[in-house]
Amino acid sequence: MTLALVLHDWRILERIVGLTHRLGCSYRSVEVRARDDNRYDARIEFAGSHDALRRLDAQLNRLLDDDKEMCQ
Amino acid sequence: MPDTAASTGAQLILDVLADEGVETVFGYPGGAIMPLYDALYGHSIRHILTRHEQAASFAAGGFARSTGKVGVCFATSGPGATNLVTGLLDAQMDSVPVVAITGQVRTPLMGTDAFQEADVTSITGSVTKRSVCVRDVAQLERTLRAAFRLARGPRPGSVLVDVPQDVLKAPCARFNPLAPRRRTQPTLKADDDALDATIDLIRGARRPVAIVGGGARSAGATHLFREFCALLELPHTATINGLGCAEPGDLRFLGMLGMHGWKAANLAVNEADVLFAFGMRFDDRVTGRPDRFARGATVVHADVDASEFGKVISPHIALRGDLRYTLAQLAQRLARMKSRPSFAAWGREAKALGGPPPPDRTPHGELSATSVLDRFFAHAPEDAIVSTDVGQHQMWAAQRQRASHPRNFLTSAGLGAMGFGLPAAIGAQFAFPARSVTAIVGDGGFQMSIAELATIARYELPVKILLIDNRRLGMVRQWQELFYERRYSAVDLSDNPDFVAIARGYGIGGASVTEAASLDAAIVRMLASDGPALLHCACYPEENVWPLIPAGTSVNEMMEARPLDDAVPA
Repeated sequence: MTLALVLHDWRILERIVGLTHRLGCSYRSVEVRARDDNRYDARIEFAGSHDALRRLDAQLNRLLDDDKEMCQ
Repeated sequence: MPDTAASTGAQLILDVLADEGVETVFGYPGGAIMPLYDALYGHSIRHILTRHEQAASFAAGGFARSTGKVGVCFATSGPGATNLVTGLLDAQMDSVPVVAITGQVRTPLMGTDAFQEADVTSITGSVTKRSVCVRDVAQLERTLRAAFRLARGPRPGSVLVDVPQDVLKAPCARFNPLAPRRRTQPTLKADDDALDATIDLIRGARRPVAIVGGGARSAGATHLFREFCALLELPHTATINGLGCAEPGDLRFLGMLGMHGWKAANLAVNEADVLFAFGMRFDDRVTGRPDRFARGATVVHADVDASEFGKVISPHIALRGDLRYTLAQLAQRLARMKSRPSFAAWGREAKALGGPPPPDRTPHGELSATSVLDRFFAHAPEDAIVSTDVGQHQMWAAQRQRASHPRNFLTSAGLGAMGFGLPAAIGAQFAFPARSVTAIVGDGGFQMSIAELATIARYELPVKILLIDNRRLGMVRQWQELFYERRYSAVDLSDNPDFVAIARGYGIGGASVTEAASLDAAIVRMLASDGPALLHCACYPEENVWPLIPAGTSVNEMMEARPLDDAVPA
């Protein structure tokens, strides 16, 4: 599963790492680039079982919603 | 024209807190956070000094659970902040709005392993919705505002804001109370098609059951849940966090669901053909083995948090949105139906699947904890707020409580944090000084927060403490009895101190009861006392919590009361 994420606060990466490990998934690749608007583009390729990736995807959405709200 | 004379980060924090409606904070001072405590001196915000930071976080949680408002706690850097961790996770797991503000070492010292330095945002990142360090005073108000918005919801939780000492001292523009600001996030509305599909499902249902969880409490949707159940004459049950959402005395209420839930509730859910899950998250203590949970049911899951859909149980219909909106929309649609179904007959059948948990029997006239709780709830005022600690007494209390509102029963449900009961009661009593607040605690958990008797005494809080002392870590003992061949390991508390003497040492009146004959009078005296009071109940140590669905099994493996003759003293 490859996700293109917009991070409002780069420190959220730490949470993504922790969550990925907690759900029994791992990474194939992580790429993060700073944008001009104080945000970050992250492209992360995750590996794991279908169920775990589905849960990870849902929880990442929640995490990123909170990230966005916190930075407003 | 607002006064823009110089302020400081610390002053700004208090001004923002006051503007967010905060009147009371719980905390414990220390080096890095001293500028904030200095600003507190003479400020209108009331600070409650607990005797441990963990108690401050639990008290903030108790305040928030009982009011629905954001609870706030302060702690200093390093050990002060790390002591908040359990309370923050407790709030996060039960979706309780708490904001913690911690002091941090000065920014030049951060990363040098300075005295009382801890990487608090990393430590607390995974136990909160967000944990952020503010290194620039210019970002302080925006961050605090966001922290309160995030803590409030849509799904509430805990947020930590870490503020280095130099930021607390830094000059900044004075707080402008007239500036426009957004305090809450927009209301999420469930999809119309999904709502219509739910109504279609109701039309064809034969044995539907509704489960309500803490989400209804958070959303303020209790009355709408009751209305929904009443419209359909629907049998319903509650998770431990949903207790109090059902109409008191409603004959269609099947009792608590889950591992120690009522038999009828668990069996009815197992037999349901349609399951409405409102604001609950299918915790393992509710489902047991998920693949065997309500296997014949079409599941409608309503929640504000989309990540809950399919996390444990995959719903056939997902209603993502504010529960007030979802339930109001369902009620509107039901009201428009020409022939609305009634499930009254099924409700009676479901209720007959099992009665309430039986009171345990105790040998030799010893006091039964279940009898103590039965009598307590019989005497407690209708609007009493009850907090519990964690363990057997928590489950017995949850089975027997009669809360008329979900904010009247406070318990560490998801985290199951011992030591919660007493400080949570303190938080609730500050929120409701005139109401009856009782902490039901066991002898294990009470001793984790026993120093908070000093907080109760100092502020002359009329908190009542009902201490179920079975001289054991009872829940662990029960599991060792049932699942570890009675190999009792590290559960013996038979050398407990004289709790009544300890309470008196703090200036709190106490009494002890050892036999059923004097129980009622003792409970009535405790509840009637003007100030704080401890009632120590010396209970039979082998009493177990029934029924029990062992962890990782299904309702088919439900265990019911065993004869006492089987018990071997621990």
